[in-house]
Amino acid sequence: MKIEINGKSYPIPETLQVVSLLDFIRDIVGLKGTKYGCGKGLCGACTVHMDGEATLSCQETVGEVAGRRIITIEGLAETAGPDQLHPVQLAWIAEAVPQCGYCQPGQIMTAAAFLKDNPSPSDEDIREAMNGNLCRCGTYPRIHRAVRRAAGEINHEVR
Amino acid sequence: MKFAEPLVLNRRQFLITSGWMAAGLTVLTSCGPFSSLLPALPSTSDPEKADGLAWIQIMPDGRVRFFCPRMEMGQGASMGLAQVVAEELNIDQDDIECVRPTTQNTPPFKMTVGSESISGFFEPVSWAAAAIREEMRRLASEKSGVQVKEIRDAQGGFLLPGGKRQNYADLVEGRPVILDQDNAVDTFNISARHTATAMGRYRAIGQNWRHHDLVAMVTGQPLYARDVSLPGMLYGAVVRPPVLGGKIKSIASAAAKKMPGVKAVVVNREEEFAGIVVQRPEQLQAAVDALEVTWEDAVSLDQASLDETLNVDAARQSNDFEHILAEDGKAPATSRQRITARYETPFATHGAMEPRAAVASVSEERAEVWCGSQDPFFVQLRVAKLIGRPAEDVTVHTHRMGGAFGGRVWCRAAEEAAMLSQATGKPVRVQWSRETEFAHNYFQPRFSHHIEASVDSSGLINQWEHDFVSSPIITGLVPENISGIVDTFVADAGTARGAVPPYEFGYHRIRYSDLRTAVPVGAWRGLGVAPNVFAVESMMDELAHVAGIDPLALRLKNLGQDQARLVNVLKKVAALSEWGAPTAPGVGKGIACAVYKDETYVATVAEIILDEEAQEVRVNKIWCVQDCGLMINPDQVDHQVVGNIVWGCSMAFKERISFANGRAEQRNFDEYEILRHDETPAIVVELVKSGAPPSAVGESALAPTAPAIVNAIFAAAKVRIRQLPIQVDDVFANKTG
Repeated sequence: MKIEINGKSYPIPETLQVVSLLDFIRDIVGLKGTKYGCGKGLCGACTVHMDGEATLSCQETVGEVAGRRIITIEGLAETAGPDQLHPVQLAWIAEAVPQCGYCQPGQIMTAAAFLKDNPSPSDEDIREAMNGNLCRCGTYPRIHRAVRRAAGEINHEVR
Repeated sequence: MKFAEPLVLNRRQFLITSGWMAAGLTVLTSCGPFSSLLPALPSTSDPEKADGLAWIQIMPDGRVRFFCPRMEMGQGASMGLAQVVAEELNIDQDDIECVRPTTQNTPPFKMTVGSESISGFFEPVSWAAAAIREEMRRLASEKSGVQVKEIRDAQGGFLLPGGKRQNYADLVEGRPVILDQDNAVDTFNISARHTATAMGRYRAIGQNWRHHDLVAMVTGQPLYARDVSLPGMLYGAVVRPPVLGGKIKSIASAAAKKMPGVKAVVVNREEEFAGIVVQRPEQLQAAVDALEVTWEDAVSLDQASLDETLNVDAARQSNDFEHILAEDGKAPATSRQRITARYETPFATHGAMEPRAAVASVSEERAEVWCGSQDPFFVQLRVAKLIGRPAEDVTVHTHRMGGAFGGRVWCRAAEEAAMLSQATGKPVRVQWSRETEFAHNYFQPRFSHHIEASVDSSGLINQWEHDFVSSPIITGLVPENISGIVDTFVADAGTARGAVPPYEFGYHRIRYSDLRTAVPVGAWRGLGVAPNVFAVESMMDELAHVAGIDPLALRLKNLGQDQARLVNVLKKVAALSEWGAPTAPGVGKGIACAVYKDETYVATVAEIILDEEAQEVRVNKIWCVQDCGLMINPDQVDHQVVGNIVWGCSMAFKERISFANGRAEQRNFDEYEILRHDETPAIVVELVKSGAPPSAVGESALAPTAPAIVNAIFAAAKVRIRQLPIQVDDVFANKTG
């Protein structure tokens, strides 16, 4: 049993099949960018991409998602091309979104998957798409602006 | 006040002889008064100017290393203070390396609380950087033979007459330079300080630097204590009582010790501590579950009894208040319009996104702890006591925190990791779950207010009697055995924060009691300021309506000349929000203002919409004007103001901890909701340019947010909300507007 994380294949030993995908990524693979916030799928801090879709990694056991293709915040930039950051990360930097920063990998992963499906979102679309990701520092207005900015950049590139 | 010194055994020897150092089950029975020696309160000494000299180092390459004496939790303090250093030393952001200090490479500094990082540390940091720059100038003079006064400032060093450059790198000659107070030039009179001239022309101050951790944050680099991993690290967890203050009755560990990977079961009855250590992270939960602990029946604790204790009416009936915060003037015999109202805010929790975690490595030679805390030196002292070592043997490595908001002064995960590491001789990681964070951290206390006030026909408030009851916040963490003495001598200023209004009243009297309950209480964003300003600014609105005067006009009428900065932000926010312009049916605007710690002036207007169809009250827009003196990084100030407004909306509509059967009923973000993205209003912030010294911004804009919202609801629905969180059903049930 194997799982692909950021383009690398990892074996899943039997003893680890019941471990959550989040714990597998953090403690077994050792990638710390994906965050634990609630363990119940309530806050979005653990969001990763599974076969391109935003997925709460605390809600999956690694055995159940064997064979799937996972991208974490550490692997996001590479999906946009070599030696550059993803347009969503660049928008996050341009808007200086983070305060404490802890929820931001999850916010960015949610935004990146969402914009891939909906590259020209309305404000209402953004609010709905980002609503599962909590931020206690209150950076929502900047998250909103950054998603809009990233959408603009992505559209610009496409044209 | 002096306490008798209790007699204690040499702790380390005691630990060794009692077998604590061995792996396996170790039971420590009580060793007398030891726990009373655990430091009870965090580090509280304010910085002095000369302290700054230990924080700044010119490195051999001429770059500057800044050991930032403030913990970073999202407020951006380390960036702001780095800008101050850069300003004085004439360098760019690339030339400064901002280091998170350890307890070993930086002298002790005050805990990071109270929005003081810029307001309280601006002075010592700018002074020290200027002192170092002047020492460099003296070196340049020595080296060049040119008189000091002819040596001009230049990027990264100096300019000599004739155009020759002398950079810091040339002057330090391949060795790092740290100044101590004894050889600081002109020690207490650095007249050449750039930042001493307010509103001067700055190179770094007033610029919107981006945080040095920004790219690391958006690329998922391991910045937080929860991300720390050491070679050979074991994984530990602590069994916690099902109720607050629960004590261990018995413990059976035979089954647990047989679980896969178990390295040690550690029990310390005195600290009510039972923990387990395993080899691999996936073995931990099953091992914890196998540990059979029974608990003593704890004191009963439920919301009704707490409401009864923290009840202003009860205190008024006995006319028994512990502290008179302010009293002045003469009560009027009669007054035209008199109102009495009772306001309440609930217990609340911090809900920082990163549940606390720590790694500790305790060996015979040394002890190291990696954690995120608002007070690393408090962590150092407590860990040292718990493992029986002198404080200097314990190194605390600090980390960026995933939010703190007052909730991370005390980091018990660090203490737990240290005790478990000591028992196993290996590094041990302890991570709190979200449920542990909800159940076992300290709380914001409930506040219960009674205000009686009267206003005359011209709008002058001639009487203001405010009584309130809550719990001690700043001294909330002191242990039970000394709390009685502490409470006798200390009127808790944290509980009282924001309770003295900025207005001039004919007569005012403000009394309060800070009463302990079984609920552990400590700092929460702003401490007493949000609950107290909620009561004060709600009553101001009530007075305006009863007197038939515009709420803005009433405030302006009762502010004295010494409140010119508050008057200014009120007028500005009124203009910005088109205060007084007609609103559509179902739409209401409310205003509120506050002065945070007598230094930051904020005024807020909220616009709400009553959505009859959805039976929702929506905050549509919030305008906020703040005057916080000199702004080191205006964009970061804006960020903080917005964060406070979002927190204020969350507090107004959502947050409440209740207790039943000895514990908090809310265990995660489904039972304790915080504001989400789609509930966030449009927010417009205007920051006043000011020549005043930099003042607090981390909590200031929180205070007026909730009262502006409830005042807006009154404007739209004629329903007065006097209890938070707002019950939307009540608004629609009672509305007449």
